[in-house]
Amino acid sequence: MTESVGAGAFVVTPGPHLRAAETTPRIMWWVNAALLPTMAWGIWAFGPPALEVILAAVVGAVAGEWLATRALRRRSTIADGSAVCTGLLLALTLPPLVPWWAALIGGAFAILLGKMIFGGLGYNLFNPAMVGRAFMMASFPVAMTIGWSVPGPRNWYIRLEAITTATPLGIMREQSLSAAIHSIGGPEGWFRLLIGLRPGSIGEVSVLFIVVGAAVLLARGIINLAAPLGVFVGLALITSATGAAWLHLLSGGVWLGALFMSTDYVTSPNTRPGQFVFGVLIGLLTGLIRLWGGYPEGICFAILIANAMVPALDLWFRPRRVQAAGAPS
Amino acid sequence: MQLLDLRVLGKGPSHPAPRKEATADRSIEDLPAPAEVCLPLVQHLGDPAVPVVKKGDLVRRGQKIAEAQGSGVPLHASVSGKVKAIDRQPHPTLVQTQAIVIARDGAAESLEFPEDPEWRSLAPAEMLERIREAGIVGLGGAAFPTHRKLALPAGVTVDTLLVNGAECEPYLTADYRLMLSEPHAIVEGAGLIARIVGVSRVLFGVESDKRDGAAALAAAARASERGDVRLEVAIVPARYPQGAERQLVTALTGRVIPPRALPYAVHVVVQNVATAAAIHDAVRYRRPLLDRIVTVTGPGIVQPRNVRAPIGTWLADLVRFCGGLTAEATRIVSGGPMMGRALPRLDVPLVKGMNGLVLLSGKGPFEEGYGPCVHCSRCLEACPLGLEPNQVSIRVEAGRATESAEFGAEECYECGACGYVCPAQRPLVQFMQLAKSALRKQRASLPAGTR
Repeated sequence: MTESVGAGAFVVTPGPHLRAAETTPRIMWWVNAALLPTMAWGIWAFGPPALEVILAAVVGAVAGEWLATRALRRRSTIADGSAVCTGLLLALTLPPLVPWWAALIGGAFAILLGKMIFGGLGYNLFNPAMVGRAFMMASFPVAMTIGWSVPGPRNWYIRLEAITTATPLGIMREQSLSAAIHSIGGPEGWFRLLIGLRPGSIGEVSVLFIVVGAAVLLARGIINLAAPLGVFVGLALITSATGAAWLHLLSGGVWLGALFMSTDYVTSPNTRPGQFVFGVLIGLLTGLIRLWGGYPEGICFAILIANAMVPALDLWFRPRRVQAAGAPS
Repeated sequence: MQLLDLRVLGKGPSHPAPRKEATADRSIEDLPAPAEVCLPLVQHLGDPAVPVVKKGDLVRRGQKIAEAQGSGVPLHASVSGKVKAIDRQPHPTLVQTQAIVIARDGAAESLEFPEDPEWRSLAPAEMLERIREAGIVGLGGAAFPTHRKLALPAGVTVDTLLVNGAECEPYLTADYRLMLSEPHAIVEGAGLIARIVGVSRVLFGVESDKRDGAAALAAAARASERGDVRLEVAIVPARYPQGAERQLVTALTGRVIPPRALPYAVHVVVQNVATAAAIHDAVRYRRPLLDRIVTVTGPGIVQPRNVRAPIGTWLADLVRFCGGLTAEATRIVSGGPMMGRALPRLDVPLVKGMNGLVLLSGKGPFEEGYGPCVHCSRCLEACPLGLEPNQVSIRVEAGRATESAEFGAEECYECGACGYVCPAQRPLVQFMQLAKSALRKQRASLPAGTR
């Protein structure tokens, strides 16, 4: 027998013995990082109140996570970044002048009843941030509809009094399509829509910065475009009848919803065809709610309803199995 | 030469990098005969061999020291010397088994193995007997007795012999270096196998990162061209698990082996390049399997090398020959890092099926636990068969393993591609194994006829 070499203790673990570098926490923190551009824009455009709302929602979400893991005597999962992600996503869909305590409660609710009650990360059926937002719309309806302000440092604390003057979607709903288009103005107005110089939710107004963040996730292979494309196709299909599909595509929370929420791993289907159909559903439902429903914006409820379809979509759209041509011999 | 692409492996988020740089340029080096070898009686799938020597006997290299029994193969002394012990010794996969330990004696000579001039015209039965007598098993890692693999069941016809030189496991280059240094032995061995199983078409499959290996085989094939056998070399994309039997058969023939069936179900026989070379030696010289080529590599070894070592060499001797362990070595893997097994120690012998010894650094998988499935779909995109490891794993965790059949648990051949990509570090291969065993039990409990 040979001595010394190999006398030390070696680790025995099951294979495969090599692992890809990407881990769940890394992915979650990358998503959080990808939200920074639109978040930064939101803070610049809507000022300290927006920052307050973001902090409150994140603190609420993290506190909810901490509370749940403690109550369940589980290892804390705050470090995996998913609670921060939920808080961030929720905050970015809120009006900038929503009271901070409402955002705090919304964040905690999103985690506790949107995620932890189902068993924690990976087990939730519905997008937790959207559960939180739906909860806030039901619980603080006034705060959620009058919290708008005009972007730009000079307007930070000025509340837009009437919903009718708020967002293009609001104008479309309360007045008319032509009024909405008129409110945008000429080509410069369209540019303002793209870059995010319009009233709206903190992180939803800037198509440009949302796309910049999503491009990072796309380049890292964290998301794919099957579901987002579906959202755009679905929304364009149903709103083309109004003649203003482009206005719909550039308004409200479509881009944040399509690129950051319809791509959420846990609450979207597993295969790309399934993801595309899921996206189309979201787009169609968003259009339905906007055109004929009770709210000016519909992406939040559209996502929640489509989430409920995911288990079925996963059964209908399965990976292509490699099959033997003949019968087994 | 032709290029054939494999449909199912083109996609996927990531796959393990080949990492073959450390040894790809190292030609095969002979290990100086070690002071001691330990030869387990089981180094194959089948019944253990029975010793025909006893403690204290002098044996010569090449001499049979244990006779085959049942479905097994015989065992030969890989060094000349004295039988030091016949008792329980460590084994890389079976933990401990009966083994014959030989202490080398420099004075004792090896047996000679002269060429049989009639070697090209032997009857298949005679060739099979020489292969069995040489103790040859599948050298690609499976260690299935080769004479049994080549003795096809009655009624089975095959039309293609596929010689596997894909070597898709990361880090390993033993087969590649063999293709470069002994292409003639591989090609002649393949010709012999073709005659045994009665096929006229031989396809060599080599991954695209080993084009010079493929070229060496092609040159050897041209040199030995014969009327009765058509030899072709095909390049397949370098992408794990391209070298898995099922993948290679589909890539090169377009045929898909049914779940749980063997390649001959689609009229194909598959042999590894190293096995083909060993068959050549066995038939032409009646030379038993005494050595094997093993890639000793990884961040945990000082001088990564391809080593030809006597079967039974203690792994510690191999490591010492390669400059010893680096400070960062924490894990020992026997075989390739994807499908190989972790070993707790190095006082374990080299066995016939061990094509690699990979010394890894850092923490092992699951040392820090694993997370819940977040449905990222990476495993679905990685699985070469289109199975659903995520669904199987969730059901096993929920105690409902028997519901995992529809997600393909039983078809999984455990390549580990899913476990490699899983960002939650979930032990997906092990979940598959649990599902398989639950399904097996369930089937066994069903009344006959309904299975």
